[in-house]
Amino acid sequence: MPNLKDLKTRINSVSSTQKITSAMKMVAAAKLRRAQEAAESGRPYAARMRSVIASLAAKADKNSASPLLVGREDVKTHLLVMISADKGLCGGFNGSIARLARQKINRLESEGKKVQVYVVGRKAADSLGSELAGKTFARIEGVQGGVIDYGNAADIAEKIISGFDDGSFDSVSMVYNQFVNAISQKVTHTSLIPAEVDASDADSADEGSFYDYEPEEAEIMGALLPRNLSTQLFSALLESSAAELAARMTAMDNATRNAGDMIDRLTLVYNRTRQANITKELIEIISGAEAL
Amino acid sequence: MAETTQLELVTPARVMVSKAAEMVVVPGTEGLFGVLPRHSALLASLQRGVVEVYEAGKVIDRIMIDGGLADVTPEGVTILAERAVDLSVTSSQELKERAQNAGDAEAEFLNLAAEAL
Repeated sequence: MPNLKDLKTRINSVSSTQKITSAMKMVAAAKLRRAQEAAESGRPYAARMRSVIASLAAKADKNSASPLLVGREDVKTHLLVMISADKGLCGGFNGSIARLARQKINRLESEGKKVQVYVVGRKAADSLGSELAGKTFARIEGVQGGVIDYGNAADIAEKIISGFDDGSFDSVSMVYNQFVNAISQKVTHTSLIPAEVDASDADSADEGSFYDYEPEEAEIMGALLPRNLSTQLFSALLESSAAELAARMTAMDNATRNAGDMIDRLTLVYNRTRQANITKELIEIISGAEAL
Repeated sequence: MAETTQLELVTPARVMVSKAAEMVVVPGTEGLFGVLPRHSALLASLQRGVVEVYEAGKVIDRIMIDGGLADVTPEGVTILAERAVDLSVTSSQELKERAQNAGDAEAEFLNLAAEAL
């Protein structure tokens, strides 16, 4: 029979855990609103940029176009940008990024390509651990949480472009969590170099095939493509941090509820034990009295 | 009502302006150009400068941008700019305060915007 004091201590410790999880849930919920707004208001820019890029890519000549747009033909090394959170306690958020990244790495390696990883955020890299040994191209932490600065995305993009130019890798893609709504995130894999052109963007590009360029097409491309890269990264960072907060809110909500259930169960056991002790003492007294 | 062209000015953070205008003057890298309704399709890169929105022959809005891209179609013009400041609603003092808390590139832009007021 568990003793009463131990039970009381358990109940207290579970209820202080519950206080912490419910506070974390509320913090995440408060931050989520801002992050969600940021993610949603960042979408138009990224979308317009994509459609401009799509219309350029649709008409681009494979041979003369910038490799940033159409990619290199012979891909020896691939760079994977892996965007996860710096902090844990957000359910399957980091785990699912790590899983998809591992899948992609294994597939690329089975195709005989080398893989480099650009680690953004700590957690997914921690869970991949030694699998990333010798594969980390660069690592950046602390860009998420709080307000996300476009400058950070531009720095990452710059680093990617200089690596691409000196031939460290020949294609680039990223994995990140896309924010869908407060209770669900979508793990997404997008190609950055060559630029990904989806069907709907390409369709809308067809109508605008008679563009004039000022200055020359090549110059516009030169200015636009790096900018597109940082835009796509920026919007991925926004999406990812909104998704992280949403995931944390859900995870902490579940934890709070579980703690509540556990307190109920423990309280029941505590009361039963207390009752049993009282009954036992009464029996002892009564049988003692009868024996006289 | 005169014919109008739809102006959209978008920054990474938000859609800053979305309105119909009579004419929009845009700072292209090869010089200022005006966009009227039914302008032919054009993709132009922009330099740092002021976008002016005309209504009834007068400038009603001035927005400073830090370079970017203009996607002109017969229906309207979409300006993609990394940084932009609406000069008609901010004061130069406010801009200077913002500049002090911003990074180098951003601060330079904000100070220039304060001068352009």
